Amino acid sequence: MNGKDNIEEFLRSNKPQLKDDPTFLLETNRRLKQVEGIKAEVDRQRSNSRIALIVALAIGILLGATIVFIGYICPFDLNNLSDSAFAGVILFLTTWKEFFLILAAALSVSLSYILSRTRKAEF
Amino acid sequence: MTRERFIELIRTEQEPLRRFLLGLCSGNQSLADDIAQDALVRAYVASGSFLGLSKFSTWLYRIAYNCFIDHCRKATLDTLSSDSYEAQSVLSDDTTDNEFRYQQLYQALDRIPDKERAAIVLHYFEDHDIKEISSIMQIPTGTVKYLLSIGRNHLKEYLSI
Repeated sequence: MNGKDNIEEFLRSNKPQLKDDPTFLLETNRRLKQVEGIKAEVDRQRSNSRIALIVALAIGILLGATIVFIGYICPFDLNNLSDSAFAGVILFLTTWKEFFLILAAALSVSLSYILSRTRKAEF
Repeated sequence: MTRERFIELIRTEQEPLRRFLLGLCSGNQSLADDIAQDALVRAYVASGSFLGLSKFSTWLYRIAYNCFIDHCRKATLDTLSSDSYEAQSVLSDDTTDNEFRYQQLYQALDRIPDKERAAIVLHYFEDHDIKEISSIMQIPTGTVKYLLSIGRNHLKEYLSI
C-alpha cells in the first residue's frame, strides 16, 4: 500500500463527527422567520414606491396634456412678451432645447444603470 | 419558495452541510454552525434565484463555501487559528485514541490552505466527485485534482503517514 492509499484510507475512516444538536433547525427556523419579516417590509416599501412612481407619471402626463390643451385653446404670441422675464426663460429653453433633451436622456440612462446595479447588489 | 418548504428541503441536507463546515473550520463546531446558519439564511433569501441547473445540495454547498471564504476574509488568521485550537483542546480532554486522532487531523487540516482543505473535505469526508467539487468551488476540474494532490501531500507530511 503506497502513501496516497494510506492517507486516503485515513481520511475516509476519520470523517468529522458532529455533536447532535436538536436546536440547530429551530434556530434556523427562527432566523428565517426574522428574514421573512424583513423581506415583507422591503416588498411593502418597494410596492409603495412603485405606486408613487406610477402616480407621479400619471400626474405628469395629465399636467402635460392639460398645458398642451390650454396652449391650443389660448395661444399666446412670444413677441408680445419679449420684455418680460418669462419670455426670456421661454426663449432660453427654446434655444437650448437639444442640450436639455440630451441632458435628460443622459440622466435617465445613468439613473436606470444605478438602479439596476442597486437591485443586483441586493441579491 | 416558502419557509416551510425550504426547512423541509434542508432537513436532510443540514447534517452533511454542517459536517463539511466542521472540516473547513478545523473542528470548531460553534464557528461551523454559525457559518451554516448564515449560509442557510443567504440560501433562503436567494432561493428565488435557484433555477435547478445543479442539485439543490450542490447549490447549498456553494453558498456555504462562499460564506466560509467571506468569514476568512473578515476574520484575522490569528483569531481563526486560536479559535480552532481552543475547540481542539476541549475535544482532547478525553484521551481516547479516537479523540487523539481527530485532534491530529484537525490540527493538520488547520495548517493547509483553505482551498486545499475544502477540496479534501468535500472529496474524502463528503464523498463528492471531482465534477461536483468543481461546481461547488467554481474552479476547473484540473485545479480540483491539483488541490487534492497537494492537499494529500501536505496532510501526509503533517500527519506523518
